[in-house]
Amino acid sequence: MIHWRFIYRQIISSKKQASVFILCVALSLVTLVSLGSFSRSVRESALRDARELHSADIIISSHYPFSSSLEGAIKKYADENLVTRVRVHEFYSMALDPAGGASLLTNLKVVEKGYPFYGTVELASGRKFSDVMKKSHVIVEQGLLDRLQLTTGSVINIGKGTLTIADIVIREPGRPVSFFSLGPRVFVSAQDLQSLELIGKGSRIHYRYLLKLSDPEALDKVAAQLASAALEGQEHVETFQTAQSGIKKFFENFLFFLNLIGIFTLLLAGIGIQTALTALLRDSEITIAIMKTLGAVSRFITTHFFIMVMVLGTAGTVTGLCISFIIQLLFPALFSGILPAYVTLSISWATVFEGLVLGTVVVALFTFLPLWRIKEVPPAFIFRKEQNPPHRGRSQYLIVLIMLTFFCTLVIWQLEDAATGLYFVLGLTALISITTVLSRLLLGRLKKYSPSSLALRQAVKGLHRPRNATMPVIVTLTASLALLFSVYLIEQNLDATYITSYPPDVPNVYFLDIQQDQEEGFTALAGKETHYYPIIRARITAVNGKPIKRAEELRKKRDNLAREFNLTYRNSLLEDEQIMDGKSLFEDGSEDLSKGTVVPVSVLDTFAELAHIKRGDTILFKVQGIPLMARVMSIRTRTASKARPFFYFVFPEEVLADAPQTIFAATRLNRTELAEMQRRTVTLFPNISIIDVSQSLDVLARIMHKLSAVIQFFTSFSMIAGLLIIISSMIATQFARIREAVYYKVLGARRSFILKVFAYENLITGFICAVLAVAISQIGSWVVCIRIFEIPYNPFPMGTAIMMALTIILIISAGMVSSRAILQQKPAVFLRQQTGE
Amino acid sequence: MNIILCRRTTWEERVICLCLTMLFFLAGCENKREPLPETTPEQIVFQGTIIAVGDSLTAGYGLAEDEAYPALLENRLRSDGYNYRIINAGISGETSSGTFARMKWILAQRPDIVILETGANDGMRGIQTDLIKENISRSVQILKEHNVSVILAGMRMLTNLGPGYRSAFAEIYPEVAREQDVLLIPFFLEGVAGVPSLNLADTIHPTAEGYKIITESIYPSVLQVIGEIENNRTR
Repeated sequence: MIHWRFIYRQIISSKKQASVFILCVALSLVTLVSLGSFSRSVRESALRDARELHSADIIISSHYPFSSSLEGAIKKYADENLVTRVRVHEFYSMALDPAGGASLLTNLKVVEKGYPFYGTVELASGRKFSDVMKKSHVIVEQGLLDRLQLTTGSVINIGKGTLTIADIVIREPGRPVSFFSLGPRVFVSAQDLQSLELIGKGSRIHYRYLLKLSDPEALDKVAAQLASAALEGQEHVETFQTAQSGIKKFFENFLFFLNLIGIFTLLLAGIGIQTALTALLRDSEITIAIMKTLGAVSRFITTHFFIMVMVLGTAGTVTGLCISFIIQLLFPALFSGILPAYVTLSISWATVFEGLVLGTVVVALFTFLPLWRIKEVPPAFIFRKEQNPPHRGRSQYLIVLIMLTFFCTLVIWQLEDAATGLYFVLGLTALISITTVLSRLLLGRLKKYSPSSLALRQAVKGLHRPRNATMPVIVTLTASLALLFSVYLIEQNLDATYITSYPPDVPNVYFLDIQQDQEEGFTALAGKETHYYPIIRARITAVNGKPIKRAEELRKKRDNLAREFNLTYRNSLLEDEQIMDGKSLFEDGSEDLSKGTVVPVSVLDTFAELAHIKRGDTILFKVQGIPLMARVMSIRTRTASKARPFFYFVFPEEVLADAPQTIFAATRLNRTELAEMQRRTVTLFPNISIIDVSQSLDVLARIMHKLSAVIQFFTSFSMIAGLLIIISSMIATQFARIREAVYYKVLGARRSFILKVFAYENLITGFICAVLAVAISQIGSWVVCIRIFEIPYNPFPMGTAIMMALTIILIISAGMVSSRAILQQKPAVFLRQQTGE
Repeated sequence: MNIILCRRTTWEERVICLCLTMLFFLAGCENKREPLPETTPEQIVFQGTIIAVGDSLTAGYGLAEDEAYPALLENRLRSDGYNYRIINAGISGETSSGTFARMKWILAQRPDIVILETGANDGMRGIQTDLIKENISRSVQILKEHNVSVILAGMRMLTNLGPGYRSAFAEIYPEVAREQDVLLIPFFLEGVAGVPSLNLADTIHPTAEGYKIITESIYPSVLQVIGEIENNRTR
């Protein structure tokens, strides 16, 4: 028989812990459901994006006209109506303004009707691409109009054709228009291709077939058969899935991090559930003991508490689902811009179901141990004021083992990778063990510490007071804080690498091939903040006297030593560089320099790692036929900004200043400045090529900032979980404090003294937790950043200090709030209640 | 190309790298030439020095340096009894402006003959033909002023750039050769350009086989100039 009134009373009597429990369950559910929906949407759209990026299901490309066997195979599929095909020719050609006589290199894309299969070509007029792309018309990029000073409606000559500019292209499928191109884009209709007379002997054309399948399921089969008909090494058959898409990899990294946050939040919520329940049951220990004395069997009690947990769990689940639905309303605002508008961000029932199952597993997992302990409460407990350490039998270890297994499965499932999941769990186990050992050590030290201030002394003693669960509280808090800090640190590092490396001052225009004697004139033209980088080309002949073996080098997957390298010279570090090894760039270089045989060089860490080069090693360069022996005097590293130019090898100016070189310049210009600059460069310095990446960078920066917002959104979940844990553990120790406060009052202490003792006690707890957590999280985040994300690590000392301070303040204030009730307690009332029991 | 070089993989960087790489036609060639004469024990006495000045087509983009034409030419000369040292001074991605700018450096190596092959990168970037002509012409002039015999390698531009540009480009070389009175190889890539089997997958850079053909086709011109030099010396 189930006694519902008993359950109701139990919940009411510890309503604070009960609400923390409910909130934690709700939080874990919100995290799972929101994250699940989001990941699903991102995955779907990433797949769609990949299709859009290539605007087809199958992409066949070649630098030569297609072989008859491949043409035949494509035709066969087309005849059977299995595929629809569109031919695309891409090549550079000169466009001439017949009126002004100026000419410009353009990047032509000749397309047949039907292009693109997926995605859209956005035009400035807002019209449909297929409506505008007609015979003898072209659609051009704004840059062409700027450079030739034309407008829509003007006529240009390309090849033997005379074409009218019909519209301006803003976006091509899946990307901004000019992603590093030597000239602006021009779309031409395939109907004009013949009359242009640009394809023939001596042409360099990128031939492409875009195929759309009528049955998407047949993708791999059709692709494989086409591939077998293709000439190996010359014709390439790819599907939108196999075509190398960096975006996909990037999103995978991003989703992995979100999943990581999800797991952290889940874990924190779990810890919260366990702390809340443990505290709740501890409050009930006397009740349990009384029930046992009155003859209640263990099973009756366990069943009732189990039902209680289920009630609370259900309440949490329902709350969580409600919040999830509310948050779903925020999704569009939060995620717009990252996901294409057509991706519906909704909570699917599958995700809700998955969330429910996971939520139940989490609740079961983290409530099992506290519930099991009920059995261990002896009836004699009512007579004892002191608590014996709980007896740890074999069964208890078994339970812990089962919990761990469950948890492993959960993590592996969520991260979708067994090895990573296993590492993760091992890492967590290590985290908890280290925390336990460290906090035990620290507490042991503190025990011997006897400060002169009475309040402080009492506070230190208070940490070791019986029934004050200092150790569990510190371990729980430290582990939680370490997770929280890690989330913060990893987030900051990802942010620094991916997002802040696109600050407003990142160069968006590059100028290539500036000659030394043009530098002065160019500087006058470019003005503003333009950075110049001299480039000297050289090969490496030997490292430490050992000649480079070309065959071996070429087999290397990453960079190899057998290629040509770009050397530069300057006598100072760049803003985003630091010396990792060595005192300065060319430390002690003067000595070698004076001998004139060996010159100093500074090497970038990534290259040093690749080539196994240490400080003091020698590298024999060959600068256009002339040998140059260099000794590595320093190893440099780059801090963050990846979007800036960098060099593996930096020499002192006097060594290379006279070597043949060209200069590379990078600057940031707005749209109008850019157009003006392009025009003037072409007239004044016609040899200089301009690479305009402004459009691409703008798009990139927007996406990055959105992604950062998403990460912060999900990170805030884990922050809330952490907060709940702190509150819960403060409430958990409330009873012990009340008693202490009463005794102090009885002994004549003032309110302020009691407050001081509690404040000190919380300060010590908070400090220990914060320090341990910072140490652990710094190491953990470093490993994650370097090993998993492969990004440089920055410890963010200021941010960490602020986090520490906030934590300590939070712990103290949470402690103070819970102490308020304690201070108001009249000693006599309390003592009467105590003896009454 | 390590101006913006990224071994760590973020997609945007890869694109940047890729594009810059294409742009510069960067080469990965180890220098496998014979050790420099100063260091060889036999102390070969060279009859003269030939510098092969040029872009990736001279450097031997995508090949070992001993597969590119300067090394082949040196061997060919040696087997015929001409002890000439050939320095490969090819720089991948270099334009005619770059070539002109490093003439001083070239002269510092005291060449007897310079084989000048440049302008292809200018053409691929659509640089105005007057500028290319001026650069090549001035380079040849400087070399001649320092008594260096020049062999000018002619180049043609891709058909797809358009007939106007293509013809203007093709005229540069014969005009310079005429004006400066130097020996012209009408088309450096004769018999190689456009033949898939003689070019790398990028369709512009010759393979080792392609360089054998190039070496043979320029060999008579080189012999002719060597003959002139020897004549001058004996006189």
